[in-house]
Amino acid sequence: MTIVQYIALFFIFGGLFFLFVGVLGLIRLPDLYTRMHALGKCDTLGTGMMLIGIMILIGDITNATKLLMIGTMVATINPVVTHLIAKTAYNRGTPMVEGSFVINDYVASQHRRRRQQLEALAEKEGGKSE
Amino acid sequence: MLSTILNWVVVGLFFISLLAIARAYKGPTVLDRVVAMNIITTNVVITILIFSYLDNSYYYIDVAFVFVLGGFIGTLCILKLLREGHII
Repeated sequence: MTIVQYIALFFIFGGLFFLFVGVLGLIRLPDLYTRMHALGKCDTLGTGMMLIGIMILIGDITNATKLLMIGTMVATINPVVTHLIAKTAYNRGTPMVEGSFVINDYVASQHRRRRQQLEALAEKEGGKSE
Repeated sequence: MLSTILNWVVVGLFFISLLAIARAYKGPTVLDRVVAMNIITTNVVITILIFSYLDNSYYYIDVAFVFVLGGFIGTLCILKLLREGHII
């Protein structure tokens, strides 16, 4: 094995370490939001380091460009998907863990606002809607 | 030597996917399963790339590219279905 292959193996094992830490956070943390906090960073970093390692191993400029395109796609797609999952969970009213500082009251506040709008509408129409 | 180490890296990726499958089996909500599916897609892409290096057949890089796009579109469709109730 040459020195270049040792450098590539360093990057590959670094990527494997970060992927393992991310999935450890996935199975250990108590909440959906904290699980995404673990995965959204570790997944992107591990994939990027692994792609750099395979790029060094292959060494051809044509295939390395394709690998760079895959790395760019993953680094763009992964934060977008994480943001969308967080927004969907917040809008569906997924509860946070017991004892956290923030509570998710999106659905309750929507119901409260709708009830207030209905009361205002009934007042304006002179109580005929009841 | 190098091919043996890369084969053990693939075994490690399989182990990581197994842990993610455990979370997808146990997860309380649908979105935990979506997150687990996302990391399994990433592991499959890296496995395809390592096998394309071990087999010296670089056409599989295009397959990995299409796999990334397919996983993105699938996750997007599931999230839109959960938020709005319909896809189209």
